Amino acid sequence: MTELVSLKGIVKHFPGVLANDNVDFTLIRGEIHALLGENGAGKTTLMNILYGLYRPDSGEIYIEGRRVEISSPRDAIKLGVGMVHQNFKLIPSHTILENIILGLKEVGFIINYKKISEEIRKLAESYGWRINPNAYVWQLTAGEKQQVELLKLLYRDARILILDEPTSVLTPQECRILFQALRRMTKEGKGIIFITHKLDEVFAISDRVTVMRKGRVVITKETNKTDMSELAQYMVGRPVLFTIEKKESKPSGEAIIIKNLKAFNDKGVLALKGVELVVKKNEIVGVIGVTGNGQQELVEVIAGLRKAAEGSILIDGINIVNSSPDRIIKLGVAYIPPEPLKYSIAPNLTIVDNLFMKAYRYKPYSNGILINWKKIYKKADELIKNFQIVSPSLSTKAKSLSGGNLQRLILARELSGLIGDKIPKLIVAAYPTKGLDIGATEFVHKTLIGYSRKGSGILFISEDIEEALMISDRVAVMHDGRIVGIFKPGEVDIEKIGLMMAGVQVASAI
Amino acid sequence: MSIQWVEQVLQLTVQMGTVYLLASLGETYAERSGVLNLGLEGMMIMGAAISFIFSIAYGHLLAIFIAAIVGALMGFILSILAVDMKLNQVLVGLALTLLGIGLSGFFTFPEIRKNILLKLNPSLPEEMLLTQQAEKLPEIPIPVLSDIPILGKMFFSHNVLVYFSLILSILMWFILFKTRIGLTIRSVGENPSMADSLGVNIYMVRRATTIISGAFASLAGAYFFIGFHPFWREGVTAGRGFIALALVILATWSPLRAILGAYLFGGVETFQYRLQLFGLGAQSPYFLAMLPYIMTIITLIIISTESIKKKVGAPASLGIPYSREE
Amino acid sequence: MARTSTIPYIIKIQKRLYYSRKLSILTTFFAVIIAFGVAGLFFTIIGLNPLEVYSYIGGVFASPTLLLESFKRAIPIGLAALGLSIAFRMNFWNIGAEGQMYMGMLASTGIVLLHVYYGLIPDYLVLLLMILAAFFTGGLWCCLPAFLKAKMKVNEILTTLMMNYVAMYLVDFLIYGPWRDPKGYGFPLSVPFPEYSKLTVIFGEFAYGGLLLLSLTAVIVFIILRYTKLGFELKVVGEGVETARYAGINLSRVVTVGGFIGGGIAGIGGLTIVSGIIGRLRPRASPGYGYTAIIVVLLSALNPWLIIPISIFFGGLFVARDILQATLRIPEAAVEMYQALIFLFIVIGEFMKRYKITITRGGLDEYSMG
Repeated sequence: MTELVSLKGIVKHFPGVLANDNVDFTLIRGEIHALLGENGAGKTTLMNILYGLYRPDSGEIYIEGRRVEISSPRDAIKLGVGMVHQNFKLIPSHTILENIILGLKEVGFIINYKKISEEIRKLAESYGWRINPNAYVWQLTAGEKQQVELLKLLYRDARILILDEPTSVLTPQECRILFQALRRMTKEGKGIIFITHKLDEVFAISDRVTVMRKGRVVITKETNKTDMSELAQYMVGRPVLFTIEKKESKPSGEAIIIKNLKAFNDKGVLALKGVELVVKKNEIVGVIGVTGNGQQELVEVIAGLRKAAEGSILIDGINIVNSSPDRIIKLGVAYIPPEPLKYSIAPNLTIVDNLFMKAYRYKPYSNGILINWKKIYKKADELIKNFQIVSPSLSTKAKSLSGGNLQRLILARELSGLIGDKIPKLIVAAYPTKGLDIGATEFVHKTLIGYSRKGSGILFISEDIEEALMISDRVAVMHDGRIVGIFKPGEVDIEKIGLMMAGVQVASAI
Repeated sequence: MSIQWVEQVLQLTVQMGTVYLLASLGETYAERSGVLNLGLEGMMIMGAAISFIFSIAYGHLLAIFIAAIVGALMGFILSILAVDMKLNQVLVGLALTLLGIGLSGFFTFPEIRKNILLKLNPSLPEEMLLTQQAEKLPEIPIPVLSDIPILGKMFFSHNVLVYFSLILSILMWFILFKTRIGLTIRSVGENPSMADSLGVNIYMVRRATTIISGAFASLAGAYFFIGFHPFWREGVTAGRGFIALALVILATWSPLRAILGAYLFGGVETFQYRLQLFGLGAQSPYFLAMLPYIMTIITLIIISTESIKKKVGAPASLGIPYSREE
Repeated sequence: MARTSTIPYIIKIQKRLYYSRKLSILTTFFAVIIAFGVAGLFFTIIGLNPLEVYSYIGGVFASPTLLLESFKRAIPIGLAALGLSIAFRMNFWNIGAEGQMYMGMLASTGIVLLHVYYGLIPDYLVLLLMILAAFFTGGLWCCLPAFLKAKMKVNEILTTLMMNYVAMYLVDFLIYGPWRDPKGYGFPLSVPFPEYSKLTVIFGEFAYGGLLLLSLTAVIVFIILRYTKLGFELKVVGEGVETARYAGINLSRVVTVGGFIGGGIAGIGGLTIVSGIIGRLRPRASPGYGYTAIIVVLLSALNPWLIIPISIFFGGLFVARDILQATLRIPEAAVEMYQALIFLFIVIGEFMKRYKITITRGGLDEYSMG
C-alpha cells in the first residue's frame, strides 16, 4: 500500500462558512506533499481533521488503507499521525527528554534516564540534529524547540507528519537543517504534509503540491511539472474586479512615515525586517499578504502596543516608536485591532463603557476626578445613530452584540473624534471586515473611505485581495516582514500580486 | 543550656515540624498538578477531630485510618468542585476550610461527643466519654541509632507517624522526579493541554492528587492531636493548615525541601516558647512567628522574577481549571 | 458519504452567553435555602434540633438589643467588604482584608497611645487622626501586594494571605510587649480608649455612629466606582490587562491606588473594632471579620448598597454565635458551619449561573482560524 493517507470527500461546515468543500487528498509513502493556499483556503482545517481536532461533517479517512475514525489527537497519534503547529506545545521548565516521553506507557514506572536519553540522542542524530536530551526547553531556540516537537512524534513512531507553516519561526539556516531532516524521514518511508504559503518552499522541498482555494482543491500536481507563476495563479484565482464609486483621491501631506522598522514577535523571532512605508493624508493604503508575515506586529508597533527594535515612525514629524499607547492616541492615531472580542472590546462592560474606553479621561467627558456621564450618554446616543449600532439599550453588555455591531462600535469609538482633533490623522485598521456580513462590510468600507476624504490617512490590513484592490488608493504587499511591492490598483496583474505575496521577487511600480 | 536542652529542642522541632511536613507533602502533589487546595486547614482540623473521637472509641490505628479516609473524602469533594465543575479554587477551598472548622467545632461539646462515642462504641466507660484528652501515640526509639548524641534524639526517637513522614517525603520526592507518574503529574500542572493531547487523563490525575492532599492534611491533623498534643480545644490546629500552604511555596514545590522548611517552621515554633526563658519578654514569640510568613512572601517575589521564573516556580496552570475547548 | 459513526448522548456543559439578573437572584436565594436544608440535616444527625438552632438565630434579629449588637458587628464587616469591593472590581483577589484590619487597629491604637502617654495630640484631633492613620496603614498593607501583582505578576492570593498572619503577629507582638497596659494586671490589653476617641462621639452609641460611618463609606465607594475616572479604570482593568493597556490605562498606577483605597477602608474597619466594639486593643480582636467580608462581597455582587444589609445579617450570625456559646447547649460551631454552607452553595450557584447543562446528541465544533 503506497498510499499512507487518503481523504475522500471531506466536507466541513462552520457557522456561516464552508471550510472544506468535498476535498480529496492523498499522501504517498515517502513523499513530501505541500499544501498551498491563502488564509481561509481550508488547508489548516483539513489537517486539523486529519489530526483529530475537528470531525468532518461527511467524508472518509483512510490511513494505510484502513478506514478510520479520528476523534482526538490521541487517536491520531495512535494511528501514526502527528502534527506540529505553529504554537509549540512544550513545557519550558522540563527537559527535552521529559517533554518527549510524556504520556508514554512503555517507559515503565521508573524512568531510565540514561537509556532513554541515549535513544533520543541517536534518534535525533539520524535526522541530522544534535541535541542534549537533558537540556531544558526554555534554553532552546525556536528551531531546536521545533526539533523537540518533531522528536515527540518520531519517538512515537509517527509515519505521517503534518507541519503547519514550520518555517515561520526559523532562520534560513534552521530551515536548511529542517529540510535535510525531512528528506531523511521520507527515505524511511514516512510521509510529510507541509502546509505553507511560500512558493519558494514548495519548490525547495516538495514532491507534490496541492493548491486549495476557498475550501476546494484547485489542483494537485507534481512539483517538477509546474512553476511559480502557475501556482500563484491557482492560489489567488481570478478575482472579479468591481470598483466602488470612488472619486480620485488627492493625497496631501504625509500622515505617517515608516522607515526601516524592525520588531520582534512574541516568540522572539524578528517579524518586521525593515518596513518602509508612507501613507499620505486623504489616502487609503491597503496592505495585503498572507497573515503571519508581520502585519499584526506592524500595527501593534504603530499603536504603541509593541516595542520596536530599530527604525522610526514619524507622525507630524514626531517619532512615536516605543511611545505609550496613550500618547499615540493623543497624537491622533486611531487603531482598529483585529478580532474584536480579544481585547479591544470588554465583553462584560456596557456599550457606553466600550465606546468611551479611551475617551473617558478627556474633556468634556470628565474633568478632574469625576466622569460626566450625562455628556457621555448624550454623545453615545449620537454615535449609535451615526454608526447604526443596533442594540436593545445603552446599558446592554457588549458581549451580547453581533460581530457586525461590535465592529461598528469600534469604528464609532475610534473614528468619531472623541479625543482631540475631530478627524484622526491616521487610521490603522487590521482586518476590519473579517467575519462580517455584506451589509456590515459595506458600512466599514464606506466609513473608511469617508474619513479618507475628510483628511485622514488610512492604513488598512486585509486578507482579501479583492477588497484591497477595491477601496485602496495604493496597495502594498507584505511578505516576510517587509513591504515587497506597492502599486495602484490596476497597475499590476493578479499573477504578479500572487507572486509577491508568495515571496518571489517582482519588479514593482510604486 | 545543656546538651539535654539542645536535644530536647531539636526533638520537639522535628515533632512540631511533622505536622507541617505531612500536610505539605500532599499539597505539593496537588499543586504540582495545578490544583490549589485552600481547604487544607479545614481538612487538618477534621483529621484532628476524627482522630480524637476515634482514638477514644477504638484506639489509635483505626483513628489514623478513619482520619485519612475522611480527609480523602474532603479532597474528593474538592476535586469535584474544582476540577469537574471548574469552580474558583480559592473560594471552594476557603468554603471547605470554614466547613471543616465548623464541623470540628461540634466535637468541642461534651454532650455531642458523648452521643457520638456511645454510638460508636457502647461499651465505653463513663470517664472516657467525657474526657478532653486522648492517649498519645507511644514513642518508639530506634535501637542503637537513638543513642547517638543529638541526632539520636532528633531523628530516631519518635512515634511511628514521624518516621512515616520522613520516609514518605523521600518516597514522594523519588516518585515525583524519577518516575513516569511523577512526570505526568508535573506536566499536568505545567501544560495540561499538551498532556491532554498526548493521552493523559487530566481529570484523573488531578482527582488523585487532590484526594492525596486531603488525606495527608487530615493525617497531619491526626498526628498533631494523638501524636503531639492530645488536648482538645476548639480550633486546635490554629492556622497550621495555612502555614503548610506557605511551606509548599517556600519549599518551591519539592518534597525534599519541604522537610527543611517544615523543620524550620517547627523550630521557630518550638523556640517561640523557649525565648521567654531568655528574658526576651512575652512578646518575642510573636516576632518569631512572623518570620515564616515573611520568608514566604520573599520567596514568592523571588520566584516571580524573570530569570528565576523559567527554572523554578509555581506550576504554570496552578489554580486554573482545565477545559479542553481552549 | 457515509455519516461518521453514531454519536452517543452526551452531557454537555456549555458556557451561557449571558445570564439575567433574575437568574442571579434566584440562584443566590436557592443557595441560602439549600444551605439551610443541609445544615438542618446535619444538626438532626448530630442530635440537635435544627428548628431550635434556627430559632436562636432568628431570635437575634427579633430582639432590639441583639439587633443593635448585630449592627455593631456589621460595621467592621461592612467596611472590610466595601474595601474588598474595590479590589475585586479590578480582579484583585484580596484575601488580606483581615490583615488590613489588624493594621488599622494597630495604627489607631498607636495614635491613642501617643495621646495618652505622651500628650502629643489634643483631644479633639484624636479620632480624626486615628481614622487617617488606620486608612493609611491599611492602605499600605494592601498596596504592597497590589504593586507586586501589577509589576511582577506575583500571585496576590498567596501574598495577601501571608500578610494577614504577619499583621496578626505584629499586633500580638506589640500587645504582649511594649503596648501592654501597665495597669492591666498583666493581661495582654492596651490602655482603654478614651471616650472621645470612640465612635460613640456621635449619637452616644457606637452602633449608630458606626452605621453612619458605614453608610458614608458606602456612598463614597459608590461614587468612586460609578463616577470617578479611577472607578472606570478599575472596571476596565478587571476585564483584562490587555484591554486596559489598549485603552491607554496605566496599569501599575490604577492597581496600586485601587489597592491602597481598598486596604485603607478595611483599615478603618479595624479601627471600628478596637475603637467601637472592644474599646481597646487585644490579640485576636477580629474573629474572622475579614474572611466573612469576602462572603459578603460575593453575595452582594460588588454592590455597595447590598453590602450593608448583608453585613447586618452576618453580624447577626456572629452575635448568635456568642449567644449560643453562652447558653452552651448549642455549639457556636453550628453557626460557623451554616456560614460555611452558605458560602459553599453560593459558589456552586456561580457554576449554575455560568454554565448550562444540556443533554444532546453530538455537537458542533468550535470555529477558529481556517
